Amino acid sequence: MKSNYKILLPVVFLLLTTGNTFAQNCNTVFEGNIISIEENIPLEAAIVEVIGTENKVISSINGYFKLEDLCPDSIIKIKISHLNCPDYFREIDLNKSLFENFYLDHKVEELSEITLVDDKINDLSTNSRSFSLSEFEKERYSDSGLAVVLEKISGVNTLSTGNKVSKPVIHGMFGSRIGIIYDGVMLENQQWGQDHSPNVDLNAFDRIRVVKGASVLRYSGSNPGGLIIIESKPLKKIDTLYGKTIINASSNGRGGSIIGSLVSSNQNGAFLKSQITLKKNGDLSSPNYLLSNTASNEKNISISTGKNNNSSKIKLLLNYFNTEIGLLKSSHIGNINDLLRAIESDLPSVINDFSYKINYPNLNNTHYTASLDYNYNLNIDKKINLKYSYQLNNRKEYDLRIGDYKNIPALDLNLSTHSLDSSFDWSNLHNEFVNGIFFEVQDNYSTPGTGIKRFIPDYLKTKFGYYFVSTLNLKNGSNFGFGIRYEYNSNDVYKYYRNSRWENEKYEDRLGEYVIKEVLSQKLIRKKVVFNTFSSNVGFIKKFAKKYSFSIQHNYTERAPNIAEMFSGGLHHSLASIEYGDPFLKKEKTHKILVDFEKINGKLNYRINPYLSYIKDYVLAQPAGFEQTVRGAYPVWEYSPINSIFTGLDFDFNYQINENIKFKNSISWVEAKDYDTKEHLVNIPPLVINNEVQFTLGKLKKFNAIIGNKFVNKQNLFPNQNTISSVIENGKKIDKIVDISTPPDGYDLYNLNFNCGPFDFISSSDFYFSLSIDNLMNKDYRNYLNRLRFYSNDIGRNILFQIKINY
Amino acid sequence: MFKNIYLKATLLSSILLFIACDKDDAPEAENEMEVFTAAVIVVTNLFDNSSVIYEFEVEGHEHEDHEEHGVLNGSLIQNQEEDDGHGDHIEIELESYTDYKFEISFINESDPDNPIDLTTEVSEEAEDHHVHYELTGNEIEIVSYDGDTIDKDGFPLNLVTKWKTSTATEIEVKAYLIHKPVTKIGSTRMAFGGATDVELDFEAHVE
Repeated sequence: MKSNYKILLPVVFLLLTTGNTFAQNCNTVFEGNIISIEENIPLEAAIVEVIGTENKVISSINGYFKLEDLCPDSIIKIKISHLNCPDYFREIDLNKSLFENFYLDHKVEELSEITLVDDKINDLSTNSRSFSLSEFEKERYSDSGLAVVLEKISGVNTLSTGNKVSKPVIHGMFGSRIGIIYDGVMLENQQWGQDHSPNVDLNAFDRIRVVKGASVLRYSGSNPGGLIIIESKPLKKIDTLYGKTIINASSNGRGGSIIGSLVSSNQNGAFLKSQITLKKNGDLSSPNYLLSNTASNEKNISISTGKNNNSSKIKLLLNYFNTEIGLLKSSHIGNINDLLRAIESDLPSVINDFSYKINYPNLNNTHYTASLDYNYNLNIDKKINLKYSYQLNNRKEYDLRIGDYKNIPALDLNLSTHSLDSSFDWSNLHNEFVNGIFFEVQDNYSTPGTGIKRFIPDYLKTKFGYYFVSTLNLKNGSNFGFGIRYEYNSNDVYKYYRNSRWENEKYEDRLGEYVIKEVLSQKLIRKKVVFNTFSSNVGFIKKFAKKYSFSIQHNYTERAPNIAEMFSGGLHHSLASIEYGDPFLKKEKTHKILVDFEKINGKLNYRINPYLSYIKDYVLAQPAGFEQTVRGAYPVWEYSPINSIFTGLDFDFNYQINENIKFKNSISWVEAKDYDTKEHLVNIPPLVINNEVQFTLGKLKKFNAIIGNKFVNKQNLFPNQNTISSVIENGKKIDKIVDISTPPDGYDLYNLNFNCGPFDFISSSDFYFSLSIDNLMNKDYRNYLNRLRFYSNDIGRNILFQIKINY
Repeated sequence: MFKNIYLKATLLSSILLFIACDKDDAPEAENEMEVFTAAVIVVTNLFDNSSVIYEFEVEGHEHEDHEEHGVLNGSLIQNQEEDDGHGDHIEIELESYTDYKFEISFINESDPDNPIDLTTEVSEEAEDHHVHYELTGNEIEIVSYDGDTIDKDGFPLNLVTKWKTSTATEIEVKAYLIHKPVTKIGSTRMAFGGATDVELDFEAHVE
């Protein structure tokens, strides 16, 4: 079965033209591009030959080939061969086709790179550029979450709550400003705030890409930070059955994971793909002590089935994702003085013996997805796509509670989303267009009876809109892209306000008319909050001298504030703070300019990517005084709009020193300020520098080793958000500063990675082994972007052993 | 031909757009069930058995721009807002060289018509709770007293304590109800660990 795996596959015909007005003499030209389906990069040095003739050419650095002197109205047989691909055969009807892109299964079992992709090739949008993670990187981090893998890409950081809850930060933005799209479905659960990590298992998909900026208007217009696009590969129309198993065992947390996938496909285009991931770990450990109650479990199942015909494709995806994550015991605090004590103490207040048990506090997340895709090719250059998806997300947060409420979650949120998208793609010789309409209904419901006021109110959201995206391929190796997207966004919100808050904020004047019920000391309002947003994108790419590429883009994004930003209200236990939304927020308007200069195709390659964002009415949680209770004083944070400006630079560099040694470096720097007060914004990633040296051994490159170093500078640009609190110390009552602002010191971490394989111990199976050591020096450090940094050091050395079997 | 199909798809979607999307069920109000909103200290002079009741209750929002004080509820005998060291404190008047019984209790008054005495739950989960008084002077000696709850390990919870005064003094006091203390042995708040469920500030005036 395995031999079939490497058979090639043509996928989508993007650019096609018809020509039948040629004279009878044989001067017809057939041209196209050879593209690797795995890495989505042009393939150089592929031999394209017309079978039975001497007519053959070699593809250029850009994957381009041109066969000349062909007779018109004939059918030719071509063969494409490439060093790392099995030979590929196709019949071409020259009556119909003079230009075609060929996607080759270019499977190289060596160190692949993070590659830059022109997304027009991949049908995404205008000329946005995305950063693709190689299968090698993806599998190396198969035991970690999505955000951790993405950190390998320059400009991408992680904002975390402890070690297992983390969400990606792109160019200093996170949460609702980042979109995550898996198989064309926008992941809905980001809007619940900072400590909600994305519920998606990267192992269920084949390809992960990051688009830094809101240029993929086909999927979203409201994510100024960027998009993370996770996709499955199109399957081959051949009879085959293959699979993969990855087994991970890690020393820190004494945990591991098993990831298995099985794919069967048929010559008639039918396919079935199933995938399962099971992960478990016990308490993680910092260099000198255990992090009690940091065990976690994860269970994911994904099944997709469908049929690829010549003119149509249908696909059904069913996906189940569940995680249960313990939160560091000592991060459960009661009030601001507990936080002060935690900050002043080097050790967490609770250190128990190692355990796999997940106690309170913990998080339990379940996410179901069902999606149905249908594509129909009306003819070679016109295509209709229909997509329906349903997502159901349940999130339970358990806290340390007393009495009858001990085992009842403090928060129990249910979010269900139906969405429908219909689009139409068309193209001509040089240009591609897509437009579409979409419709979405989302219901958020808190299971009552938690004995805690709803942190997020119940609401029903209705969204619909239209998008249009075009890419014009100009003659001289450049292209121009343009896109627009309009969204209507209506939220029917039911929100309980405490009377004290209502009076303090003088809501009566502005919200009084929406009150529909008064109970106890609360008022229930029902309000329809409507936003009309418009986003646009213009970009230009120019390639020159076969090795340089320059692109400039402008993205304009309007984002409707999310429900948490407008209506949240409640206590954040780990920060001993109370958070309030602002029901009168305006839409957030972002202008982002990205420039990308790249040198490729040489021993020494680099990429420089500066950017600038100006955001009007940027929604940010800001300190707003104190709330007094018998539990102590709590600092209050309120979402409020500011004007902000982000500037940053990503730099990537790699140098192939010789055949076996390669050096890589990447630098990410970003600075964000309040445009009016010039004060720096909180939680902005510090300067990060990654260095890596890769060694390969042997002609077949069966063995390789990587030494990596990650340097994270201390964030010196931060706002002062400290508060003062009174404590009794040494027999005196004194006021103390609760320093929640000062970032921790910088640090650098080393890691080692050894890989070897493939070995065929059993016929038709490939075995790969790898050993990784993270935080090699077992260094004590705290991460500014970890919200639990006040309570403990980050995790220490971890030795990870991995076996991968392809069969 | 394609236009026809596309038109149908568009039409279908458009119909969906006009489906009224209203959320019709108003959610039930959620009552805060285990939240401490008030605390009461009953101080009894063990010499003449006279009692004074001090109620601590405050709920409010202090804004940086417009100073807003807590909402005061009806007091029993003495009731003052506690204010994190910035405002007035409850003052508990004590005589020198006298023994007092301090009984502390915790109440949830989220529903003012139906206050819940959480002291019972604190006693039931004796191992998980501890009351600690932290003082700025050592002229008062505090020990557990008759009627206090003792946990399985023999540690008193300090729900009922005896305060033995000596020379005249003014002492600032913080009373803590600690949830899940790491240890029940200690003299400072720091030593106990755990999470603070209640933190009260008052002054003890010994005359």
